[in-house]
Amino acid sequence: MASRSDPNRAATQEESLVSTVNLSIRMFNGLVAGAFLLGAAQVLAVDPPTDSAVPSSAEESQHWSYRPVSRPQVPAVRATQWVRNPIDAFVLAQLEERNWTPAPPASPVALMRRLYLDLIGLPPTMQEQKVVSEDVSPRGFDKLVDQLLARKGYGERWGRHWLDLVRFAETNGYERDAIKPHVWRYRDYVIRSFNEDKPYDQFVREQLAGDELKNATSETLIATGFYRLGPWDDEPADFAEDRFDQLDDMLNVTSQTFLGITLACARCHDHKFEAYTQREYYQVIAIFNPLQRPQAGRSDLDSPAGSHLQLAKVKQRDLAIVQQDGQIHAFCRGAASHFLEKLAAEEVETTLPKTVIDALKVEWEKCTTEQRQQVRSHQTRIVTALTPWLDQKQREACQAALSTIAALQRETPDLPRGYFFVESSPQAPPTHLLLRGKANSPGPEVQPGVPQVLAHEPLRVLEPSPRTSQRRLSLAQWIAGADNPLTARVIVNRVWQHHFGYGIVRTPSDFGVMGAPPTHPRLLDWLADWFAHEGGWSFKKLHRLILASNTYRMSAAWNDEYAAADPENNLLWRRSYRRLEVEAIRDSMLAISGKLDRSMYGPSMYPFIPAEILEGHADKLKIWPKFDERQANRRTIYAYVKRSMIVPFLEVMDLCDTTRPAPERLITSVAPQALTMLNGDFVNRQAGYFAERLVTQAGVDTTAQIHLAYRLAFSREPTIREQDQIREFLRSEALRRSEEKEGLNEADARHYALTQMCRVILNLNELVYTD
Amino acid sequence: MSMPRRRLAKLPATCGHSRREFLWETGAGFTGLALLDLLSRDGFIERLRAEDVQKVQGLLAPRKPHFDPGATRCVFLFMNGGPSQVDTFDPKPMLEKHHDTKYSGGIEVGSNGRPIGYLMKSPFPFQQHGESGLPISSLYPHLARHADDLCVIRSMHTDTAAHASGCIQMNTGKVGIGSPSLGSWVNYGLGTENQQLPGFVVMIDPRGGPIGSASNWSGGYLPAAYQGTHFRAGQSPVLNLKNPAGVSVQGQRRSLDLLKSLNQEHFALRQNESELEARIESYELAFRMQAAARDVVDLSRESKKTHERYGLDNPRTEDFGRKCLITKRLLERGVRYIQLYSGGGHIEDTWDGHTDCISNHKLHAAETDRPMSALMQDMKDLGLWDETLFVWGGEFGRTPTSEGVGKPGRDHDWHGFTMWLAGGGVKGGQAIGATDELGFAAVDRPVHVRDLHATILHLMGLDHEDLSYFYQGLDQRLTGPAEAHVVQEVLA
Repeated sequence: MASRSDPNRAATQEESLVSTVNLSIRMFNGLVAGAFLLGAAQVLAVDPPTDSAVPSSAEESQHWSYRPVSRPQVPAVRATQWVRNPIDAFVLAQLEERNWTPAPPASPVALMRRLYLDLIGLPPTMQEQKVVSEDVSPRGFDKLVDQLLARKGYGERWGRHWLDLVRFAETNGYERDAIKPHVWRYRDYVIRSFNEDKPYDQFVREQLAGDELKNATSETLIATGFYRLGPWDDEPADFAEDRFDQLDDMLNVTSQTFLGITLACARCHDHKFEAYTQREYYQVIAIFNPLQRPQAGRSDLDSPAGSHLQLAKVKQRDLAIVQQDGQIHAFCRGAASHFLEKLAAEEVETTLPKTVIDALKVEWEKCTTEQRQQVRSHQTRIVTALTPWLDQKQREACQAALSTIAALQRETPDLPRGYFFVESSPQAPPTHLLLRGKANSPGPEVQPGVPQVLAHEPLRVLEPSPRTSQRRLSLAQWIAGADNPLTARVIVNRVWQHHFGYGIVRTPSDFGVMGAPPTHPRLLDWLADWFAHEGGWSFKKLHRLILASNTYRMSAAWNDEYAAADPENNLLWRRSYRRLEVEAIRDSMLAISGKLDRSMYGPSMYPFIPAEILEGHADKLKIWPKFDERQANRRTIYAYVKRSMIVPFLEVMDLCDTTRPAPERLITSVAPQALTMLNGDFVNRQAGYFAERLVTQAGVDTTAQIHLAYRLAFSREPTIREQDQIREFLRSEALRRSEEKEGLNEADARHYALTQMCRVILNLNELVYTD
Repeated sequence: MSMPRRRLAKLPATCGHSRREFLWETGAGFTGLALLDLLSRDGFIERLRAEDVQKVQGLLAPRKPHFDPGATRCVFLFMNGGPSQVDTFDPKPMLEKHHDTKYSGGIEVGSNGRPIGYLMKSPFPFQQHGESGLPISSLYPHLARHADDLCVIRSMHTDTAAHASGCIQMNTGKVGIGSPSLGSWVNYGLGTENQQLPGFVVMIDPRGGPIGSASNWSGGYLPAAYQGTHFRAGQSPVLNLKNPAGVSVQGQRRSLDLLKSLNQEHFALRQNESELEARIESYELAFRMQAAARDVVDLSRESKKTHERYGLDNPRTEDFGRKCLITKRLLERGVRYIQLYSGGGHIEDTWDGHTDCISNHKLHAAETDRPMSALMQDMKDLGLWDETLFVWGGEFGRTPTSEGVGKPGRDHDWHGFTMWLAGGGVKGGQAIGATDELGFAAVDRPVHVRDLHATILHLMGLDHEDLSYFYQGLDQRLTGPAEAHVVQEVLA
């Protein structure tokens, strides 16, 4: 390895391994009594420590991720035949420096499964397997990528990655764990955005300032629900502190998700490691401070989602309707008095509520708002009730008014309700720096801004519009602007992370000086620049580029020598192994059993929860609706996320934290997972359906059943050894079952054995790890 | 591998370092082996060879504490709803004197605008017990026999008057949800000795869980393996412990044999992927857990006399008695941390005596007194007393005033309340700190929840400042960034 006297080397040279090792050295160096770590040190092949020199200029001393993105030259490589696109050149160049060669390509079956699970989170069906097998050339796979990106399942798979980052959940947590009304519309917005390939810069602007955009719509209002997804204590110990915690949550999710920075650490004091001051933290808080939570006491409220134009139109419509209601009321005055007389004499009966009856007694102008609303919601029934006393002319006039109302409603339909904060004044409240981060210790007032180290010039704060301060729009324009050094780097790294298991920067939400340096800094910058320019911020274009590379299409083939020197596979000498996320596991099982319900969008479904779990709840009867299996067979992204009671199957399989932004999933292998997968309701149900499916589609022939099972589950034929073992299992299990349970007929014993085989297959490692 | 017993200089700050530095900082707290596990879990050494580390047990493998511990396991008796200090362990003669008069002091009384009544003396007479003469009210005739072992902290205080945030703070140190609970921190720090049982077991009240439910035993951002496992009496104490309907033990084994065999075929071609092997192992462990967990809850193996001592023969004490007896069996088997809830569901089903604190406390104390005393006695008889730490208390205390004039209820009091510790490493027969003369607020040697947490960790051999987990740019700790101090007087 070359000299490491320049501390910026990690960022400027394609020597990621060195940088990572350097970090390790810092760690080991710091350990005076480091001897006990010898084992780990050997595994890491750590080099001797080196000193850092003082940087030569301010520009160079700037942390790599704060510098503007510029497109590096694509490096020249020796094995040019391996290079399908610039990604390969960058990766290969680093391998060739060590005289390493990339792993051979993955087999067509492995690549097919990898692409299906990566892009749509489901294994290929029999028919799809057949189609793919007809063209397994590199070009054939390019076409497959196009097809998969066009599938609706793409948004359901990739939308979930986004939901992790924005701490999505459908309740507030705490004592009441109250529902966030209509928050599922935000989830649908995310899925739709991915499926429509909404440019990322637009996606950013909509979530940060969807209400302040010129072309705001219901959709962009719903997008701003992003800010409001966090937990909320509706009975806080200290209201001022609680309000501030909410602002801190908004700052934290915004800065981590879009910028990959840990700005929230500067709440009580200047950031200890990064160049963010406490003052700058509060300048960002000032941007969110105008947002208010629609609430009535402890109740969290939703709002109609629409631009001010749409809202104004609805308001106008409602005025017109009220006018028509008034006309009807006037036409009906005479009839109403007859009706009321008869009613008083108990000569007629009515189901109209008392409030409506009372309203009929007074002139329209004298009706209270509540009475008018009551009349509005019962108008057709009122007219029907009064019809016997209306003359022809009055009847026609009433009918005309009713049709006018219907037309008005058709013309301007109600706006969907959404869950988002609102900003309702151009005047922003003052924001103060808080001493020691305490809400009750205000310091000097601050103006909106962003950390200086990230921006070449101060944040350009727009003038307030007649309706809002436009501070968030100012922030959105800066984050989604071409000059932001972090936005594109952070998002291309996230996409890379979900394709390769790890990002080029392995701390995907921390690009600061304390985060991990990129393993391929030039590649990261090239991708970031490409994405924001040629790529037009299109996720689908970025996927196509990455998935076309030979880097992505490598196999996981092992190499002892490389592994010894680079156990983390930093240099991408092979494909890293990584377990699927729980959503892909659960959805795959449903697909294999044939029970997957592909209905999209709308209110969430409630997966099965064992009764024992509900016992743990103060309100055990109210919290989880009765199990509806068809609904529950929808994809896991539609599963209800209740903060105080995460569905056990999802929780045990490492679903992310729902209270804070989660940049990556943990992967653990513990006994409770195995118990869940072996004995739990979900897997056993699917095993039962899977067995029925095998009988229906493959008949009673054991060999055919085994073949079909392997095709459905693993997209391949079983080996001879696998077949032999399973056949023997099926034979002996059926026999033993007959012995265990007297009087069982042979067919039932065989079906039992087949179901057990299905349970085993659903539990195999091959199902949850792709090659 | 043994660990040099030395402490590293702390980094100058709490915020933001990379995972690698987190390890540098905390690494010295664990054995080398355990550190390897952590490194591996963190993706730092992604491809450790299987023989280099213990495999699936990695996360929960027993780890050496930072220093010699007072206790190796902990039982937290959580009195859900908030027991009244002046009716249990904090006698207030002045309350007798001022009984039925208006409180005129400066302390914020009560919660949520509930009515404030007059000062209300305790109807439960206090007596001095044991050689130490520790005063305990008549609510606890059985526990009083252990008076010389109790270390009562009368000067507890917390930040919130609400149950949800109160329970969550008592369990996780934070008033907000999403942070790991004390039990998960202990599991993370020490692992567990019996891999066939969960390391952190929670048993709740049949009337319902505490408010906030699983947030109270959540592993937060720690790996799910560290979270509390909800344990039940009966055939299936752990979720999904029972074989699927119709599958016999032998049938389960045969399916597992096929699973293992097919997995090994697959693994043979991917021998360097230790994650695959870990997952294969997890199924074997699960199978053993099925037997081990059933065995724990099989109380038919305990004598009739034992059943009686724990109160299983009396409907009032039966449920908590069963939980205590299961706790005994869990402790015998090396389970690290057990939390028992007394009270669940709403208001009077918990210790939340708003309307009638007197009958409420009579009921809940009677439900728990005999069982927990029997458990403590058994630990002494089994020679496990010195290894076991007992913690008793709720999320806050109750006001010395009644809730409304002439009403027997008491409201929440978070300014001052009582908890007690006993067992390994604890100096018993003493009361630490004091509330004011009426019992409202901690005035002498106040102990915040985070000080209690620091003390419990200390008793378990863990330094609360060293036990950290790097997450979201911060070295997260149970006790948080604020200063916390071990209550030295507690230590034997």
